[in-house]
Amino acid sequence: MADIACTHCNLTFPEEVMIAEQQNNKQLFFCCKGCQGVYHLLNSEGLDTFYDKLGDTKLQPAIQSNEDLEKFDLEGFKNKYITTHEDGLCEINLIIEGIHCSACVWLNEKVLHKTDGVIETSINYTNNKAKIIWDPEVIKLSKIIETIRSIGYNAYPYDPKLQEERAISTRKTYYSRILVAVFGSMNIMWLAVAHYAGYFGGIQQSFKDILNMAEFVLATPVLFYSGWIFFRGAYYGYKNNIVNMDTLVASGALSAYIYSIYAMISQSGEVYFDSVVMIITFVLVGKYLEVLSKKHAVDTLDSLMGSTPTEVTTLKDGVKSLVSIENIIVGDIIELKPGEKVVIDGEVTWGQGSFDESSLTGENEPIYKKKHDTILSGSLCLDSVVHYSATKDASNSMLTSIVNLLEESITKKPRIEQLANTVSGYFSTVILIIALLTFVGWYFWADSFEQALIVGISVIVIACPCALGLATPMATLVGISVAAKRGILFKEASFLETMAKSDVLALDKTGTITEGKPSVVKSEYIEAFDPSLLYSLVSTSNHPISKGIKVYLENKHETLELLTIEEITSIEAKGIKAKYKNQSLLGGNAELMKASKLNIETDSHNALFFFTIDDTLVARFELTDTIREGAAKAIKNIQDLGVKVVMLTGDHEQSAQKVAKQVGIEEVYAKLLPQDKATLIDTFHQDGHIVVMAGDGINDAIALASSDISIAMGNGADVAISVSDIVLLDEKPESLYESYKLSRRTFGAVKENLGFSLLYNVVAVPLAVMGFVNPLVAALSMSLSSLVVVGNSMRIKSLKFKDK
Amino acid sequence: MSENIVILMIGISTLLGAIGLLALIWAVRTGQFDDHSKFIDAVRHDNEEDLKDAAMMEEKKKAYKEKIKQEKREKEKNYRPAD
Repeated sequence: MADIACTHCNLTFPEEVMIAEQQNNKQLFFCCKGCQGVYHLLNSEGLDTFYDKLGDTKLQPAIQSNEDLEKFDLEGFKNKYITTHEDGLCEINLIIEGIHCSACVWLNEKVLHKTDGVIETSINYTNNKAKIIWDPEVIKLSKIIETIRSIGYNAYPYDPKLQEERAISTRKTYYSRILVAVFGSMNIMWLAVAHYAGYFGGIQQSFKDILNMAEFVLATPVLFYSGWIFFRGAYYGYKNNIVNMDTLVASGALSAYIYSIYAMISQSGEVYFDSVVMIITFVLVGKYLEVLSKKHAVDTLDSLMGSTPTEVTTLKDGVKSLVSIENIIVGDIIELKPGEKVVIDGEVTWGQGSFDESSLTGENEPIYKKKHDTILSGSLCLDSVVHYSATKDASNSMLTSIVNLLEESITKKPRIEQLANTVSGYFSTVILIIALLTFVGWYFWADSFEQALIVGISVIVIACPCALGLATPMATLVGISVAAKRGILFKEASFLETMAKSDVLALDKTGTITEGKPSVVKSEYIEAFDPSLLYSLVSTSNHPISKGIKVYLENKHETLELLTIEEITSIEAKGIKAKYKNQSLLGGNAELMKASKLNIETDSHNALFFFTIDDTLVARFELTDTIREGAAKAIKNIQDLGVKVVMLTGDHEQSAQKVAKQVGIEEVYAKLLPQDKATLIDTFHQDGHIVVMAGDGINDAIALASSDISIAMGNGADVAISVSDIVLLDEKPESLYESYKLSRRTFGAVKENLGFSLLYNVVAVPLAVMGFVNPLVAALSMSLSSLVVVGNSMRIKSLKFKDK
Repeated sequence: MSENIVILMIGISTLLGAIGLLALIWAVRTGQFDDHSKFIDAVRHDNEEDLKDAAMMEEKKKAYKEKIKQEKREKEKNYRPAD
């Protein structure tokens, strides 16, 4: 049977399951009511050109949901996310979900523009964040959200003040400063050509004055606007009694500038304006490269906060009411519905059900809770209605404390002092002293103040560290791009250096060393049966065990079809029951089998799944979380580099030891809560280690944030990815080894570059001290040394990763 | 070649360059380069209709301002000092 594409979302399905429709001699097919609704809405609004713009892009099928709309109009929500302007307009920042392409952005903007009361909308094409300004007297926010939902998208609020705004504004100022610097230096270059021609071929003083004046005009904004960063840095350095690179750049550029003005006015000697702008431009570009590769805003942390409910349903004397979470006090009875996220810790008082605690423990297996069991916030209620009494208020609950800890850890992240900073600190001090001595020496020896000043300044100018300033950023930039090609994303350049220096690697178990999802390791077909029956049964459940069985069946059997089974009921934390024609199907764990009085073998380390037809056992499966391919080898390689590898996990001791033995890790810490992992990392710090941590879940987030370098797996929890410094896209353990290797190679190149720039200075500075340096030599040597540094950095690209 | 010509040439070219530079900095400051994808993709959907949309949004804004002013006037008109 040929598959047909849905007219709205372009996903393909078999023809018989599609909703067919005839419109103006056109045959339309829809995969669901949602898509059909959106199509007609767009058609009637005259927005059907959307489909031309969309082309072949596939969308998510539209889901019409109007639940929890009222929460957008509640007071608590308003205080948190909405800003009210002076003139009475409201503003909110939203993340729009479901945007696939620019046509989607177009559609959203278009529809919002048409909505009455919406004054302004702008949607960012890159990160799908929208800013909406509306008139609260004409339209309510819930109505706006409803409009977005009606065309098949969804929106979450977020708070942009968190980090984003600051990052953007730093980047913008740097960009403007660089533009000015590049403009100034390019123009001075062509004036300098005339200057040098005159230097060799002779030039009239009057023309020289004009050139000097023009260079002065161009150099001034470059020095004071673009170079402002260096003056500021030098000032802070001075206040803290530190001589740093900024001191040298600022003092060198400023003294050369002042001397050049003197030379210009007195019409004697040569001007150094070109050196001034070149120093500023080169070093500024180096700094900009660093800023550019800085971690960008924590987009995903925003969405986590946005999706947590602000209200819960409480039960008081049998009356249900929505209460803002801030107003919940200890002892209140709260009702949880299937699929709801727990925001307040408590104890179950009525009902039972499975809870997904993966965000706290990292384990994907749901946990069954009955009366008197404790519920932790951050977990997810999976399958039933549960009542529980609050044992803590909102601000003391687990989820809030995790978020707070996270924010704290991000700001408190330890910083390893960068090699280049240390080197340039000493270097700057030495150069400044040499320059001073040269000045004093020449003053007494040549007995000419002017001569002594020129030579003294030329020492600073020639030593001025263009190559030194580019040494680190150039090498790390090449390193980062090589890594990115191999699926390793370094979020900040300096992480390469820290990574190279690290000596402890802490690994999370589930999802990092292992796949993080159970897969079938042993299967036993006791009696012949149609695998399609089992396939249809497990397809109805989202439980990881069911998914594992499903994947296994798909790989093993070629002809599987989805049969229409009826009366599907999921039995909490035990299994699923259904009917197919006259047969009754039952799939689940050992407990479920015992309940239906079946005699089964339950002796196994692994999770078990049984399948019965009409109360006869037909199949038995053993599932376990498998270790990622190549993990043992990668860990061996890393250990060979002299790095200590330890394992941290929320799982119990036994299974932790089992995995550790298989991959060759000796130090194992089991049964850890999220905070415990972070505490352990801190203990390593106190022992003087530099720690790299790799993990994937929200439960690892705090530990990730407090380690020196954190590595996240590409499909891990969004929070884990956003707090981490390195993301492994292909999730291969070898990538861990590769990133170690690459960072060490890059760090090596940084050292070479620094070494070279120092060597260059050892040659150039004595020449300057003896007074052999003129503006031309200064400009040439500066460019040449920078080129050598760039060339050396490029060599990183030739690094081989394959084993010999 | 007289000095004046050189001054004129350098002066005018630098001035023109500076105007371009200022325009570029203005564009950076007002966020016109913030959204990389919009820069590339949005052009495809740019047409007369969007221009109309933009004009409509402007009008909405103006209408709102007008409304606020109106309300203010009303308030002032109805204002009675306390006796």
